[in-house]
Amino acid sequence: MAALESPPKLSGAPPPREGAGGSRCSEISTELIRSLTELQELEAVYERLCGEEKVVERELDALLEQQSTIENKMVSLHRMGPNLQLIEGDAKQLAGMITFTCNLAENVSSKVRQLDLAKNRLYQAIQRADDILDLKFCMDGVQTALRNEDYEQAAAHIHRYLCLDKSVIELSRQGKEGSMIDANLKLLQDAEQRLKAIVTEKFAIATKEGDLPQVERFFKIFPLLGLHEEGLSKFSEYLCKQVASKAEENLLLVLGTDMSDRRAAVIFADTLTLLFEGIARIVETHQPIVETYYGPGRLYTLIKYLQVECDSQVEKVVDKFIKQRDYHQQFRHVQNNMMRNSVTEKIEPRELDPILTEVTLMNARSELYLRFLRKRISSDFEVGDSMASEEVKQEHQKSLDKLLNNCLLSCTMQELIGLYITMEEYFMRETVNKAVALDTYEKGQLTSSMVDDVFYIVKKCIGRALSSSSIDCLCAMINLATTELESDFRDVLCNKLRMGFPATTFQDIQRGVTSAVNIMHSSLQQGKFDTKGIESNDEAKLSFLVTLNNVEICSENISTLKKTLESDCTRLFSQGIGGEQAQAKFDSCLSDLAAVSNKFRDLLQEGLTELNSTAVKPQVQPWINTFLSVSHNIEEEEFNDYEANDPWVQQFILNLEQQMAEFKASLSPVIYDSLTSLMTSLVAVELEKVVLKSTFNRLGGLQFDKELRSLIAYLTTVTTWTIRDKFARLSQMATVLNLERVTEILDYWGANSGPLTWRLTPAEVRQVLALRIDFRSEDIKRLRL
Amino acid sequence: MSMEDYDFLFKIVLIGNAGVGKTCLVRRFTQGLFPPGQGATIGVDFMIKTVEINGEKVKLQIWDTAGQERFRSITQSYYRSANALILTYDITCEESFRCLPEWLREIEQYASNKVITVLVGNKIDLAERREVSQQRAEEFSEAQDMYYLETSAKESDNVEKLFLDLACRLISEARRNTLVNNVSSPLPGEGKSISYLTCCNFN
Repeated sequence: MAALESPPKLSGAPPPREGAGGSRCSEISTELIRSLTELQELEAVYERLCGEEKVVERELDALLEQQSTIENKMVSLHRMGPNLQLIEGDAKQLAGMITFTCNLAENVSSKVRQLDLAKNRLYQAIQRADDILDLKFCMDGVQTALRNEDYEQAAAHIHRYLCLDKSVIELSRQGKEGSMIDANLKLLQDAEQRLKAIVTEKFAIATKEGDLPQVERFFKIFPLLGLHEEGLSKFSEYLCKQVASKAEENLLLVLGTDMSDRRAAVIFADTLTLLFEGIARIVETHQPIVETYYGPGRLYTLIKYLQVECDSQVEKVVDKFIKQRDYHQQFRHVQNNMMRNSVTEKIEPRELDPILTEVTLMNARSELYLRFLRKRISSDFEVGDSMASEEVKQEHQKSLDKLLNNCLLSCTMQELIGLYITMEEYFMRETVNKAVALDTYEKGQLTSSMVDDVFYIVKKCIGRALSSSSIDCLCAMINLATTELESDFRDVLCNKLRMGFPATTFQDIQRGVTSAVNIMHSSLQQGKFDTKGIESNDEAKLSFLVTLNNVEICSENISTLKKTLESDCTRLFSQGIGGEQAQAKFDSCLSDLAAVSNKFRDLLQEGLTELNSTAVKPQVQPWINTFLSVSHNIEEEEFNDYEANDPWVQQFILNLEQQMAEFKASLSPVIYDSLTSLMTSLVAVELEKVVLKSTFNRLGGLQFDKELRSLIAYLTTVTTWTIRDKFARLSQMATVLNLERVTEILDYWGANSGPLTWRLTPAEVRQVLALRIDFRSEDIKRLRL
Repeated sequence: MSMEDYDFLFKIVLIGNAGVGKTCLVRRFTQGLFPPGQGATIGVDFMIKTVEINGEKVKLQIWDTAGQERFRSITQSYYRSANALILTYDITCEESFRCLPEWLREIEQYASNKVITVLVGNKIDLAERREVSQQRAEEFSEAQDMYYLETSAKESDNVEKLFLDLACRLISEARRNTLVNNVSSPLPGEGKSISYLTCCNFN
């Protein structure tokens, strides 16, 4: 086809409308030629005609050349004609075939559907026939089985009958043998009732005789008769009796236990443990039977019945515990003691120790037991509820929560723990008070005994609360420990610091008076007079420094306590104790405890400031003031003399060294470090003051520079802090005092300051420049800074 | 603390007789739920809600305590660190109102003296069963110098207002404390207690 189209395209370009036909082949008409008269014109026309002829000839040649190709094409086209007709026929045939096949397929599938329906109906019919046969079989079987006392078989028949579609039974009654079946059905129903009665009776006998195989035998039959609830209730009745008799036995043993027995102190916790273990064993043993014969999701019912017995046994044990250990009485006694201005004789905290341990142990056992029940019931529900709706699952979860949260065991334990917390608080407070009262300090130690003692006690109390496995109990104890440390114990240390660091020099007698007043004041506040008192200044000094160390260790100990508790509790939380909020509650309470650490740090800072201002400053100030008596307006000779006989700085350094040595020996490195830092700041500030009161000449400035360098060099060796910063202003003052000329300052100022950051204001620079007696004030005034 | 994204952190503790609706108030506020047939709270429950007040993020730690007597020693241990207490009673239960003085004694004994206490009469949706008149409650709260509000956790009446108003008051209280703390420098040995309530301002 393409070949047919292409020739006109090939030749169509050069002469316009060349293939359009011969009518208008030339522009020159015959008339025009005839009208021509001039030879010249004729020749011209002839010429043009010749040209045209040539063109036409060329075109004709080209067309003729194409003739054969076109003919070939025509031939092949002619050949194609019959083929096309063939294809058309084939296509029609194919379409016909497809339609046919389609119809056929539809036909077939509708037949298949019919067949399927027929098959289903057939199955149903067979099923129904089977059912009817079964029914007959059951009717016959039950009688025989009952006669043979084969109750399992009988129950199986009844079960089969109960499982049958009720419509089947209806249908069988409509059959030819309707009346007979009716009679048989009646028999079957009778047999059902009879079997129920027999099983109940036999079960009762078996439980009475404690015949476990028989009990289990009939227990398995109940669900076959559709008596799930009854079976479980009767079976648990039997189990409860076992629990009860065992528990009574155990309780009798307790009452007979010798007080010297190794476990005597925790005998009630042990009894509860035995009870819980017994029930757990029962659950373990019988769960498979219940699961197999009653289906999943029934364990809840069994445990619900068992828990009632458990509760009543727990009640008995706890009652005995309360009576024998005087639990309530002890609590009331503690409560009275905790009231302000209590007159009753204080209960010795040590006496509470065993009972507190036992209560936490009891609670830990209960938590363990309840957790066991929760896990078992939950997983049993899970199996049963795998296809159930969300609502059913929630309903089950709710009933489980209700069972475990509201059972008497939970409530009883909550009550015991409630009283425990108050008693543990009393134990903690009283023991801490005792540790404070018995505080001793051994020479060579940085801290005194009470810090270690107090933290030992706090740790013990929180640890005991933790051992109860109750998160609320633990959190409550953490809260109470926070209170104890933050207010009571911090107050003790605070009061000690308030007594002040006694001054030694006579200028500070005044200060001594204030501290005496403070002592009186704080002693009155504490409600007792500190008999130890402050016997000598040295002792008072030591007491102050030891207290500073104590405060610092407290702050550290609290952080350590927090970390220890955190790691102790990760184990607890990994067991999923206390629900999803447990961790959050614990973290919050613990962070409150940790915050107390900062309060001790603040207290330490205050104590240090106090020490610095009352002990360091009054000493350091006169030493610095002697700087004023050393002239810095000196000649060469004096300068050299100073070189040999240092007039001020060496003595000052010596004094500082001596003073700090006293603190270094009796303060912890951290505190000592802070104190030296405070001291260096003080030195820097005070020295600046005296420098501004002195006058200098060139050599005096140089002398001061030397002195400052020695001082900085010394202070750098005693502190771990960088002190350059503190002495930046003084160093810059030395630079100013060392200038040759007033204008030389401009080499260091402004754009020329380089890496130096000036800490002196322009006014201060002028002030320092004015200290140089050899600088003229006009020059200084003229400076542009 | 500085790592977390809030400007203020406050501890609010709900107290009051059992069954007055403390848990429902907290649930309504924190989760927008009113769970019917709510069981008695065991020990303490703990919820957190962060709200924005005037462009500032306020994290509220809400401790919902059990009203039953046997949990008293647990709940009391939370009073001292509380910034605010919500003392709740049930307007349809005279008994819960009559117990209020006893609760106030507890607050007096255990809570910090800076604590803000709000009195809440809950269950106003059960107006037809009201046993405690609004006037009586208002008089009582006035005498005790407490803020008073009536709520319905069920109908969500005033619940949001209760917590948000409280948060506002806590913020202004915290601001005032920082000011006071900044002005007076601590006396030697006195140990200015810098509660986290004030530190969190620096976050």
